Amino acid sequence: MKEFIADRSRIFFLDGGMGTQLQLKGLQPGEIPELWNVRRPDDVRAVHEAYFAAGSNAIYANTFGANPAKYHGDVPLADVICAGIGIAREAAARSANVSSEPRYVALDVGPTGRLLKPSGDFEFDAAYDAFAEQVRIGSAAGADFIVVETMGDAYELKAAVLAAKENSSLPVVATVALGDDGKLLTGADVECVAALLEGLRVDALGLNCGFGPDRMLEHVRRLAAATTLPIVVKPNAGMPQIVDGCTVFTVGPEAFAQDVMALIDAGASIVGGCCGTTPAHIAAVVEHLRGESSRLASLTSRHAGNERTVVTSGSRAVEIPFNDTLIIGERINPTGKKKLRAALTEGDVAYVLREAVAQADAGAHILDVNVGVPGLDEPIVLDATIQAVQSVTDLPLQVDTSDPKALERALRHYNGKALVNSVNGKEESMSSVLPLVAKYGGAVVALTLDESGIPPTAEGRIDIARKILARGAEYGLKPADFVVDVLCLAVSADANSANVILEALERVRTELGCRTCLGVSNISFGLPARPLLNAAFYTMALDRGLSAGIINPLSSDMMTAYRAYRALTAKDAACGGWIESFGNWSPADKTVQSCSPKAGSEGQSSSSDAESALSAAIRRGLKADAASATREALADGMAPLDIIAHGIVPALEVVGKGFESGKMFLPQLLMAAEAAGAAFDVVRAAMPPQAAGDVKGPIVMATVKGDIHDIGKNICRALLENYGFKVIDLGRDVSPEAVVAAAKREKARLVGLSALMTTTVGAMEQTVKMVHDEVPGCQVTVGGAVLTAEYAAKIGADNYSKDAMGLVRYAEKLFTTGRIAGETQRMVRLKEE
Amino acid sequence: MTVDLAEIARYMRMGRAVPDGALAERVVKLRDEGIASMRPARVWHRFPIEDNSLGPVGMRLEISGKLARHMCGCHAAYLVCGTLGAGFDAFQRRASISSGVDALVVQAIGAALIEKFMDSTENDIRMELSPGETLIKRYSPGYGDFPLSAQHTLLNLLDASRRVGVALTDTLLMVPSKSISAVIGVKKGEEQK
Repeated sequence: MKEFIADRSRIFFLDGGMGTQLQLKGLQPGEIPELWNVRRPDDVRAVHEAYFAAGSNAIYANTFGANPAKYHGDVPLADVICAGIGIAREAAARSANVSSEPRYVALDVGPTGRLLKPSGDFEFDAAYDAFAEQVRIGSAAGADFIVVETMGDAYELKAAVLAAKENSSLPVVATVALGDDGKLLTGADVECVAALLEGLRVDALGLNCGFGPDRMLEHVRRLAAATTLPIVVKPNAGMPQIVDGCTVFTVGPEAFAQDVMALIDAGASIVGGCCGTTPAHIAAVVEHLRGESSRLASLTSRHAGNERTVVTSGSRAVEIPFNDTLIIGERINPTGKKKLRAALTEGDVAYVLREAVAQADAGAHILDVNVGVPGLDEPIVLDATIQAVQSVTDLPLQVDTSDPKALERALRHYNGKALVNSVNGKEESMSSVLPLVAKYGGAVVALTLDESGIPPTAEGRIDIARKILARGAEYGLKPADFVVDVLCLAVSADANSANVILEALERVRTELGCRTCLGVSNISFGLPARPLLNAAFYTMALDRGLSAGIINPLSSDMMTAYRAYRALTAKDAACGGWIESFGNWSPADKTVQSCSPKAGSEGQSSSSDAESALSAAIRRGLKADAASATREALADGMAPLDIIAHGIVPALEVVGKGFESGKMFLPQLLMAAEAAGAAFDVVRAAMPPQAAGDVKGPIVMATVKGDIHDIGKNICRALLENYGFKVIDLGRDVSPEAVVAAAKREKARLVGLSALMTTTVGAMEQTVKMVHDEVPGCQVTVGGAVLTAEYAAKIGADNYSKDAMGLVRYAEKLFTTGRIAGETQRMVRLKEE
Repeated sequence: MTVDLAEIARYMRMGRAVPDGALAERVVKLRDEGIASMRPARVWHRFPIEDNSLGPVGMRLEISGKLARHMCGCHAAYLVCGTLGAGFDAFQRRASISSGVDALVVQAIGAALIEKFMDSTENDIRMELSPGETLIKRYSPGYGDFPLSAQHTLLNLLDASRRVGVALTDTLLMVPSKSISAVIGVKKGEEQK
């Protein structure tokens, strides 16, 4: 069977539409098609037999929706699947009598109809379990192979393919349904899908449904360029049209077959039809190909393709180039980062996510995620952090851990095909990491060190890389699956370090044909002015062919080096990237210039001018102006504490009162608070460290279990932070246990919960009760669209706030320390970090 | 498809006030990013109404209570579901991370866009009506006494998860979150304003 799928010297014919055929026999909209396996088996079998008679080599059993997450019929699921496979087998047996062609039966696995996290609430593991049950029943019932089809979400696709591979030994074929824009519903394009499925080692991949064969052509061409696996096509009989209130497909068998020929020319070797196609459509395709050996001959030599190194997220494919370079953002790694370490320990997801978004905005192409903090349960925290980061960025991630358990769990739940950091030449590392990469897919960073350490010469490092590649080949990994890191050692410790690295970089390229990556900033360890040295070395490494620099994308020196290198080596078309980044550059200053007029005229500027400029900027919500007015006030000699007491706080007070009296609206209040936050940041930088005392907070916030609407909570968090509170944001859909654990750990005096829907208020009530029971002295404040003060009281909450400002007022009352003192402490704390 | 500042302002609970200055700039920038990230999709299907319900045997959608009063005199109904897609949700999550203002503004932009999208979908449905037929106001599960649990039947009848990627959570929320489902009655006569 596997050989038959892989054989590109012939066309493997699949069947056509099943649902539309059953509808012709009386299936109603909303009716469960799989129930016909039990109730009207003769009708289902007749459809299969008609396809075999038309020339199909394989048919899909009527099990598309027969997974426990979707199926809700009154006949047991196993009976429906077994009957479906049984009917298909009968049809295959009967047809085999009339022809010697092989006749295969596929277990058809369609989507669950649920949306996985982060867009929905369905857990990856739950989707996996649903598919696994279907696969176990279907393969035991006698399917020859498994098709995963019509998938609209790459993450669900991964769950289905993993379930198929882990719960049967049958060949697995996977196809997806593209939308009009050539993407899945959740955004993945064909390159993304191809990389994911190749990584998961399916036997064939392709497209079904979505549109007719004419419009499928361009996508098949792209697919052929992106994969070396056999390509499956199952197009619809054109686009659905509504005629007299009914959905009809208008492309007839002859026209369909004509267009399918073009798909075969583009590389497809496994061919069938989807919605609206009939046995006549399949027969027409078979007829067209009879005797067309030249058409088939070209297939065998097709898309042998150049090997590419591609990693993906759920919606974006990124190629690690051989002749260009890209940036891996290094900032989500707690080594030497106190603030990040604290955030990871406290479960402050929002902090980590802000780091992710900032790096993406700055131009990173891949983000490294490392959560190695002593004392943390790395498998759990890495998994959770990766899922959270993937919810706010579509960049592929570099899963960075030395713990194989953490790696496996993270790779399993990762949405896409990850970059794995890392394997090294030690036997222990190779034997634990390489099988995981082979199983889950991925490109893997190969560190050139082994049991005897890091070789001092380029030659020694190349040898280790060679050893790792050879070992990888035993697991089916190709050189393109590796990105070699020749290891950056400080030039302060070894004067020749940079020379060795540069030589090794070049030789990995030319002698091994591999891409490279490098943690560039290690080079300057122990020396002053590190950013300057890093940028210079980065340029040198780029010039020697570095494929991926692991750098800080928020460093303007590094980003300038990157952009300059690409502009100077003809990699930046018409210097477009350079111009976009530096079009407004002026030689005067690297910092953002304020355009606000300076308060007061020369020599006459006074504290009160600065104050009023600051106050106006805050009231009008002008972040940059607020920051520059604060800088001016400091320059004019105003004391930091005075700026807070006489500039920032009164302005916030005015805005808060304006909001409460209905003169200002929420967006304006939030804008003002952000401007105040920017002013705080400037003052903070100018403050001397002082003795610590009480801080305002922390406040633990969460959107309750089952609820995914977290806008209200996010607004409250932002406003509280701008008012100087420390907030631990646990995110959304948070279990009562997690809230209690955080409240205990943080010794929080206040927990804030939000719920939007009546269906989730139950979870809120449970959380309130649990906090009260288990965290004595901790108050709970609640809010959300469906809540009222009465209802909040009924479920035992200590406070209800109808809006974010109300919550700030309540929190200020609760944390009775004076405002000025509180602000001071906040700044001291932040400064320390 | 786009929406103007006044429409967005209403969903920021600014009443008739229209954003200006820095807020207006922010709204316009986020609106354009939001429009780039959305992928609107919709599906509808017409069903006759018989015995105060619609749909095939075994999957009937009951029309009772306030919905029945609202649909009094209707001989048929369209079930409809539209969404801005998962991309808009991802954009909203990203925007919400760094700024409360952005969280609020993007929320409002999404609400304004999906409402507008559903209005234009209704216009397209109108083109299908027979002469003398008219659509009444759309009515969604969760309004009045039309139970949220009707979402299951409504979305299944439309095959919404496969056709437009709209699914339900265990707590009966539609995902992607900027989605609207509704029943729109069809009756004989002039459109009511």
